[in-house]
Amino acid sequence: MSAVSAVPAPPRMQCRDVTVRFGGVVAVNSVSLSIPPASIVGLVGPNGAGKSTLFSVLSGLARPNAGEVEFDGTDVTGTSAQHRARLGLARTFQHPEVFSGLTVREHITLAHRISTRRSRIWSDMVTARGFRRAGQEEVERVDSLLEGLRLSRVAAQPVAALSLGMTRLVEIARALAANPTVLLLDEPSSGLDAQETAQVVEVFRLAVERRGVSLLLVEHDMSMVLGLCDYVHVLDFGVKIASGTPDEIRADPAVRAAYLGEEQAPEQGEVTS
Amino acid sequence: MLGYIFAGIALGSIYAIAASGLVITYISSGVLNFAFGSMAYFLARFYYFLNTQEHWGAVPSVIVAVGLAGPGLGAFLYLVLFRYLRMASSLIKIVSTIGVSVALPPAASLFFGGQTITTAPGLSPTPERVYTIFGAVASLDEIIAFACVLAVVIIGTLVLRLTGVGLRVRAMVDTPALTSLSGVNPSVISVGVWMVSTTLAGLAGVLAAPSTGLTPDGMTALMASAFAALVAARLRSLPAAVGVAMGMGILTDVIQKYLPVNSSLTNAILTSIPFFVIAAFLIIYLAFSRQVNEAASTGGALDHAIRPQGGSAAMAKSSASAAVVAARSGWSPYMLGPVVIIAIVALLPILLSGYWLTLLGTGLAFAVIFLSFTMVVGEGGMIWLCQASFAAIGAIGTAQLATSHGMNPLAAVLIAALIATPAGVVIGLLTIRLGNLYVALVTLTFGLLADTLIFTRNIFYQQGLGVPVTRPAFLVSDRNFAYFALAVFIVISLIVVNLRRSTTGLALAAVRYSEPGARTIGLSVLSMKLLVAAIATFVAALGGGLLALNLQSAVPTSYSTFTGLIWLAVLVTVGVRSITAAVLAGVAFTLLPGVFQTYLPAAWGNVPTLLFGLGAVLVAINPDGQVAVNARQFQSLIVRLAERRNRRSGTGPPDPAPAGGTPPPGLAGLVGKATR
Repeated sequence: MSAVSAVPAPPRMQCRDVTVRFGGVVAVNSVSLSIPPASIVGLVGPNGAGKSTLFSVLSGLARPNAGEVEFDGTDVTGTSAQHRARLGLARTFQHPEVFSGLTVREHITLAHRISTRRSRIWSDMVTARGFRRAGQEEVERVDSLLEGLRLSRVAAQPVAALSLGMTRLVEIARALAANPTVLLLDEPSSGLDAQETAQVVEVFRLAVERRGVSLLLVEHDMSMVLGLCDYVHVLDFGVKIASGTPDEIRADPAVRAAYLGEEQAPEQGEVTS
Repeated sequence: MLGYIFAGIALGSIYAIAASGLVITYISSGVLNFAFGSMAYFLARFYYFLNTQEHWGAVPSVIVAVGLAGPGLGAFLYLVLFRYLRMASSLIKIVSTIGVSVALPPAASLFFGGQTITTAPGLSPTPERVYTIFGAVASLDEIIAFACVLAVVIIGTLVLRLTGVGLRVRAMVDTPALTSLSGVNPSVISVGVWMVSTTLAGLAGVLAAPSTGLTPDGMTALMASAFAALVAARLRSLPAAVGVAMGMGILTDVIQKYLPVNSSLTNAILTSIPFFVIAAFLIIYLAFSRQVNEAASTGGALDHAIRPQGGSAAMAKSSASAAVVAARSGWSPYMLGPVVIIAIVALLPILLSGYWLTLLGTGLAFAVIFLSFTMVVGEGGMIWLCQASFAAIGAIGTAQLATSHGMNPLAAVLIAALIATPAGVVIGLLTIRLGNLYVALVTLTFGLLADTLIFTRNIFYQQGLGVPVTRPAFLVSDRNFAYFALAVFIVISLIVVNLRRSTTGLALAAVRYSEPGARTIGLSVLSMKLLVAAIATFVAALGGGLLALNLQSAVPTSYSTFTGLIWLAVLVTVGVRSITAAVLAGVAFTLLPGVFQTYLPAAWGNVPTLLFGLGAVLVAINPDGQVAVNARQFQSLIVRLAERRNRRSGTGPPDPAPAGGTPPPGLAGLVGKATR
């Protein structure tokens, strides 16, 4: 994918100087990053680098000790996860947080309804919708998502019965069904086989190209990140040690040190281009 | 003044013993023992049996009843129940300990006799010896209580800090998985902890019996007071729990000095102290901590990784068992089952008469109350233990409006239910954000508070007769009333079924299974759960009003919180997520004891309650309840028969998956991640 253009489009989402402490441990130390529109941003780093913690802060499940989070130009630092979801933020989890008793189709239907016809959560109680069939437009949208992630075959099965890889696909489908503008993906390819990985990569590309979704991707698979992302940030021990285009990251000595444990210890700091 | 402090220290000591017994099992096995009060009752009742009925001395009685029977009961309960609970979700833990708490009192009356006990002796010989310390009077019982708590604290600290056993216990509290990897058998430690805890329950029970009364209700109230200390200690810190318990005891006795003697106000203030302690600490936690629940559920990173998804995922898996769920919107042939059952129940008023018809009407009113559990437990995934109080509010509200204010009785039922609803919402607001365990704790305490504070007031109580309620003219016959109650039940059932199958139901299920997942698709956990809490409160109060109409009087004591625990046990035994289960449970709850009372010796009168308690215990093994299990077996039988026929005729498509709906998943389905 081509490098991100230099046109300074306002970022869809960004965080500034976010710091999270757990007792005495600083899990995330003054990290800033931004997610431009219709782009794929990667967030990499060794285990324990603070990637998932940063994700919790971005999605509103945890509050930072310091720093701000902005979504579409408004400060959302103090707002709840559900509020951010309504603004157009969706995410997946490293350990999938699915609704194990609901079917695959129900996951997608629910997310779709919440984003399009939110009032139905309350109005359905009095309109006896439970005894009627779902609307045609909704069925089509849900079917297309099921098709896109090759989940049609298991659409009627409860998610508890699915493999980890399938569960991850369900979570991705659920996130996409919410029609997000920004999608945070926490290790989407772990637990997927090569074919499934290729398939989700394709889905991500389509989401960015056709729907203008911005992605922030936490991944262990360096080759996937460097191949897919427009821009990459590297965390190590809660500190951002590098950021830049995939080519810059490949050449960065600090990243090599963090990943390969090379001798030359570069000065800790941003190696931004 | 000093005399009040001595009495307060004695009371605080009893609370502290109870609180330590609760904390150690909570931190070592993750089970908050709602059966603690019943264990205390059982062992104290055994002490009374030995000491008073069999004329043993106090010392041998306490050695046998507390020192031997205590560990024995603890070991027994651990082996048959608690060891299965470690990995269970918090809801299953709560429900099965409630099952124990329901089963133990009837077991006690089976073993030790069912007579009512007006005064229970303490440990000291009568007449009680009295000592003068610093010019104030302290009774021997008070000194014994204080000595006991000192012994518990000192021995506990020494064992935990200095011995190898203590080290292993502390290691297991931190991470059972790693401890077992290091060659220690966690179940040996667990059984030890449960034995100690049950012994403490017995000790607290024996010490408390003279003042609280030797009844299950009295002991449940004792447990609720200890819960207050536990909440203040955030369920984990033993020293904090002991400290707060002592403080509460001293506060309770010292303020008596400043309150009028023998006034109802004094009594009200004293009994509500634990509740206010809980409320105060909850408000502090909600106000000053950013994420109470989150912090509690996160825990150590390592333990989080090791924990196999709280066992709930595994259970959901076995319960859903890969069955294919047909479209849950629109009509499906699987709705026929409940229709058939309800049709059969609808025939009963014609077949029964007299006594049995009255029981049936009562049972159908109970079925309505049970639907409130179906809502709040089955759909909301929360354990509310004060539905009985809501039913009582409905009943006494109906009586007040209809009898004292001349309102149409049916309108009174409806309005009383509307009046009760805000109570449920307020409790929900206070507790839901703190997680399932706090919901159960607080609702239990609220129920007990309402029992003593509101329902004993003479304006409602009327010397035990209750305020009379007259049925409207067209409902005077029991047959008509039974049909009316059934009609109300069917209307509410339709509402419940619609809700379950609509977007609202999907959203509720989402909240139940995964709170982070639900929040990140834009659902507010609090408002979804408040919604079910409000509906359930309304339904419970409506059922309470119906029950008052049926009995033609609103007797508040028949809605005691402990009775409410039995109701929950009954419904959970039959199935907590199904409409059919609610109606069957309601009818069984009244007809079964009726059968026992009519056809079996009087001593067997407690057996149904015992059975219901045991049934609730079984959810640890089989979370769906009996109706769901049988329905599933029946459905798979039909599917198999249909497949065989298809294969023979060769027409049916070779569908690899059985086509059919799953029955609603039961408790297994309600468990999201095990949040504590």
